[in-house]
Amino acid sequence: MTFSKALRNMIVKESASQTNQDDQSPPEQDSKPPTLAHTLEEFVDCSDITHRTFPDHQIDLVYFDQLTDKDKLSRHILSPLLSGSDEDVAKMVKHLQPFKTTSSKTLILDVLSGGIAVFHGPDAYVFDVYSPEARAISQSETETVITGPHDAFTEQINTSLAMIRARLKSSHLKVIKLSVGEVSKTDVYLLYIKDIVNMKFVEEAKKRIQQIEVDAILDTNMLIQYMDDNKYSIFPQYLTSERPDAIVSKLVAGRVAGIVDGSPSVLSLPTSFFEFFSSSDDYYQRWILGSAIRLLRFIAFVITISFTALYVSVTTFHYEMIPENLLMTLTESRSRVPFPPLYEALLMEVTIELLREAGARLPTKIGQTIGIVGGIVIGQAAVQAGLTSNILIIAVASSAIASFVIPSYVMSASIRLIRFGLIMLAGFLGNLGLVFGIAAIVIHLSGLTSMGTSYLNPVAPFKPKDWKDIFIRAPFTALRERPSQSSSPNVMRNKTKE
Amino acid sequence: MNRLPISLLAILMLVVLPGCDYRILERIGFTYAASYDAAPQNQVEITVSIPRAEPTIKVKRELHSAIGQSSKDARIKFANETDLLLVNGQIRVLLYSEALARKDLSNEINSILRDTSISPLVKITLVNGNAKELLSKNYKQHLSTDKYINRLLEKSSSNHRIPRTTLYEFERDYYDDGIDPIAPILKEAGEDIAVDGIALFQDYKYIAKISNRDALLFSILRGKFKKGDMSLVLSRGEDGSSSEYIMFTSVLSNRKVHVERRAGGTIHVTINANFKGSVHEYIGNKKLSVDAQRHEVESKVSEIMTESANRLVKQLQLHKVDSLGIGIHVRNSMSYEAWKKLNWREEYQKVEIECKLHFKAKDYGKIR
Repeated sequence: MTFSKALRNMIVKESASQTNQDDQSPPEQDSKPPTLAHTLEEFVDCSDITHRTFPDHQIDLVYFDQLTDKDKLSRHILSPLLSGSDEDVAKMVKHLQPFKTTSSKTLILDVLSGGIAVFHGPDAYVFDVYSPEARAISQSETETVITGPHDAFTEQINTSLAMIRARLKSSHLKVIKLSVGEVSKTDVYLLYIKDIVNMKFVEEAKKRIQQIEVDAILDTNMLIQYMDDNKYSIFPQYLTSERPDAIVSKLVAGRVAGIVDGSPSVLSLPTSFFEFFSSSDDYYQRWILGSAIRLLRFIAFVITISFTALYVSVTTFHYEMIPENLLMTLTESRSRVPFPPLYEALLMEVTIELLREAGARLPTKIGQTIGIVGGIVIGQAAVQAGLTSNILIIAVASSAIASFVIPSYVMSASIRLIRFGLIMLAGFLGNLGLVFGIAAIVIHLSGLTSMGTSYLNPVAPFKPKDWKDIFIRAPFTALRERPSQSSSPNVMRNKTKE
Repeated sequence: MNRLPISLLAILMLVVLPGCDYRILERIGFTYAASYDAAPQNQVEITVSIPRAEPTIKVKRELHSAIGQSSKDARIKFANETDLLLVNGQIRVLLYSEALARKDLSNEINSILRDTSISPLVKITLVNGNAKELLSKNYKQHLSTDKYINRLLEKSSSNHRIPRTTLYEFERDYYDDGIDPIAPILKEAGEDIAVDGIALFQDYKYIAKISNRDALLFSILRGKFKKGDMSLVLSRGEDGSSSEYIMFTSVLSNRKVHVERRAGGTIHVTINANFKGSVHEYIGNKKLSVDAQRHEVESKVSEIMTESANRLVKQLQLHKVDSLGIGIHVRNSMSYEAWKKLNWREEYQKVEIECKLHFKAKDYGKIR
């Protein structure tokens, strides 16, 4: 028959990526040849599966209606099959380029990822018409910038990959396709630029992802916790970003990126602590501005972890440290508060965290109400009611604001939590406790690693050359080398003559 | 082991234990200023001024006073009178009466030095009269008295009406070889407090005083400084001729000391001080815009200043107080052994000191 001939001619060799996927699957099912009966048996009780039979052509179709492109399906497959002759079917086949499948396991996986299984006699073919419902590309909600590109990754892995490919027109951008989750079978793409990346990171990341044995991975931030070097640390050990430009900059810096299907955030590794304090904005502004803002973020970091704690320790132990005039107003506003400064501070910090959490969970319209109510309650009523002193309000509010200056939400959340520990230590031992706490944080940070590299790169190990792109954003002519953390075989990145 | 219960217990303790602490800001009475007066039987009378910021009471400060063998003894006595926990960490001003200072301040200063919570930046001042009265009185047109004194001293030392005398500087001068400490003197002047002059110490003992008139001159001789103003009468308007008067500000002064050993073993010291100032006021018949005439005025100022400087130095030598630190320069000009052999206190009187002051008008304004 013409149809089967056409099918046989048009078979495209199984791609490398598919072989890769096969590596992931348990071997015992692979040997079974794909049959209609077996496939239907596999999908029994899946009421959303569609099975159509065309006795004229001896063809059976099995697919998930909601995963396929309905337009393609009806135009290229259904209408030729319903109305056409064998020639039409052959033309249709030529157009769609099916895969011939030999293993039942692959066939089922393909159907699950939006393919149409075509059974014709003993042979089975898969047409890829995958087109799930997807969100349009929009701005990132968590990482907004003022200048620079505004698009953000979406949940759709191919869209995200396309956004990176569009920015890196290089055949050296390589993609490894992996699959995680025994039930979810989530696609994970590992991206790297050949000759720039140090392959040890690619191998290590691949190994770690392959070692994950879990039912489902739903988000990048979930995946990275399976890959952590230090599982009990409060700090995120991989950078995730929703911004394609940020991820591309990480790729060209010799880092590895990872996209997880269904998650708009993309991971980058290896990561250092200081990377969380830089934003793409720094590079789009004039360098002096970029540097100033970057320094501001480090100041914000210090403020957010220590300001409230300092208030507590100073009001409880170290009245000597306050300028005399401030001391008077401080005593005056403190004099009506019935609690020790520690409880006063904890009360306000918890209130602010409540407000923040409520604001994050609520829809935007109600979220505004929370802002107003919270603003009045915290700003005015708490002081008038004698629950807190107004200087504490300033301390708590400024440290909350400062925590939001840190561009990475994950990092800023970690830092906000650390603050509570420091406040308690400050209330217990004053500045001594505060110093103990900060020392403990520094010790912990120095012990952390990301993909086997030091988390405090480039401060420890000491690489002052890298500092011009960490603490400040030096002019581009000065940024000539890739960061030492990515230990790239190709160090020079900028050969522009001055 | 069971890590979780232990860490939970630790957190619980961290949260609960601070509640036991009494040292909370509003329950602390931080002494702002303290005065020391001589009392009979070698005792001291101590008065402390503690600012209060309680919105419910009108009083701006608490005053407590007691007589005791030592400052700490008195402190224990008046601690019984207040509900506040008395601390010294915010103390700004220490006032000593002249009478007490004439005896000796070593006990008082030592007890302050021993208290580590007291900042070395606390200001040391003498009071002409009763220090307790000066501190207790409320001066209607001024801030709370303790703050008023503090700011007055700060301002005055910033334009060199008086030297900057903190505990640190006082102690440094005390321990340094070849210089004697100094301190400003305050006095009550009706509804105000006024600077009365500079007290010259020999170790911890108050010896003599420099009047207000010579304060800037003293500063010029003592070292390099910026800022300050001065007025000078160049000539009295005797028998019809118009008087000449000059006032200059923004004084920039630099001094150099040369030590020379003259034949016969006498030490000869030359103090060269160059100071510049902007002429703000000049009343007289010379034109400052004419170079020659301006130089004339300048040299006249230099002459008058040199004369009074020499007089001032003579006075210092008479009292055996080396407040200008001439000894430091003498010491630096000789070997350590030679200096050790030298009894500077006695030798000081024999030293020939010559002051040479040079004035230069930086500018003289728009008026020609």
